[in-house]
Amino acid sequence: MISVADLLVDGRVPGNYFATTAYVKSDLELGLLENRRGNRLLAIPDHFIRSLYAGLDKETGQATRLVLMNCGRWWGKNFYARFCEEVSDYYGIPLADMPMAEFLQCLQQCWVTHGWGLFELDQTYQHRGFLVVKTWHSPFATHAPKMTRPVCFLDAGILAAFFSQLSGRTLGCVQISCESLGADCNRFLIGLPERLQPANEGVDQQVGHEAIMAKITA
Amino acid sequence: MHTSVEAVFNEAEKRYLTSDELAVLGQYVDTMPNRLTLYRQLRDREVDLFQAVADQLQREFSQTPETTLEQCVKNGVLALRSCAMAMLMMDDNHLQDRLAWLKQSQQNYQSQDMDATLYRLLDKQLAQMFSGQQVALLQPFLNAIQNALGDRARAIEAAESISVSSLF
Repeated sequence: MISVADLLVDGRVPGNYFATTAYVKSDLELGLLENRRGNRLLAIPDHFIRSLYAGLDKETGQATRLVLMNCGRWWGKNFYARFCEEVSDYYGIPLADMPMAEFLQCLQQCWVTHGWGLFELDQTYQHRGFLVVKTWHSPFATHAPKMTRPVCFLDAGILAAFFSQLSGRTLGCVQISCESLGADCNRFLIGLPERLQPANEGVDQQVGHEAIMAKITA
Repeated sequence: MHTSVEAVFNEAEKRYLTSDELAVLGQYVDTMPNRLTLYRQLRDREVDLFQAVADQLQREFSQTPETTLEQCVKNGVLALRSCAMAMLMMDDNHLQDRLAWLKQSQQNYQSQDMDATLYRLLDKQLAQMFSGQQVALLQPFLNAIQNALGDRARAIEAAESISVSSLF
């Protein structure tokens, strides 16, 4: 028999930690935007992102991709640590005890509240060792210069680092479809780096994401 | 639906409030004692309310594992607490934020049937434990929940999918 009194033993029912009204706080006197833990937040205008790509292109040319990807990796690693700490604090349970569905739901909400767009994890190929992350309305897809390849390098780096930390193994991430190229959403393929080689080649040759997935899982 | 009081304040940045807008504020203040009482009662009777619902839910879903039912009940508690706060603050937005989360939770756990039953039972239990006037205060917010998570959610989804497919 369910005992509601026991379920609500400390009165708290955790909800959406990242609900905008709860997560984003502003201090008008000091001109600060902070999250609910007091960590500073910054709002970045579109032009900044465009300038980021333009500036990097001017300074590093072809290396822009790599620079952004590495930036994403580095930042993603720390983001993971902060994210886990915040979430396990809020839920009051160690991360290992948290159901994956809830963990991912928190990540989804975190993505939305920070203005990075919508986020969904596709576990269809999980049994083959691949995860696919789908995102919509990525600010980088919208404001990066148009290329003949996917452009969300920062996102890819962040996701690679995040899921590497989550799984405890070094994972790579290849973007196989991009909103900037007219796709319905951005798809990021995550898996062991050596197994992503065909995906990299596919992207270079401008092969569609379905063909890439077929090749990878053949 | 009630207008958020905060929205009224924002609207009035460049001018004094109109009579209609003042009426909203007036209503906010006038009904505050009733809303506070209801809020306190919802808080104090939460365990009894949900125990009754949980018992019936468990009877209807006797084959379902207890942990799944517990998750369903917890989400119900969250939903009603959000309703209560939205009612107290006369603020729809408060509920909308939480509903998106609860909807995602519902998809993750595929608990549409159980949730529909839970909210049906909750409605009945509220009608038994609270006066008609009190339920009326909560009703707009309970409706929002029904539309997002309960029986009406599926009716709405079915209606929407009919209209999209009729385009082809």
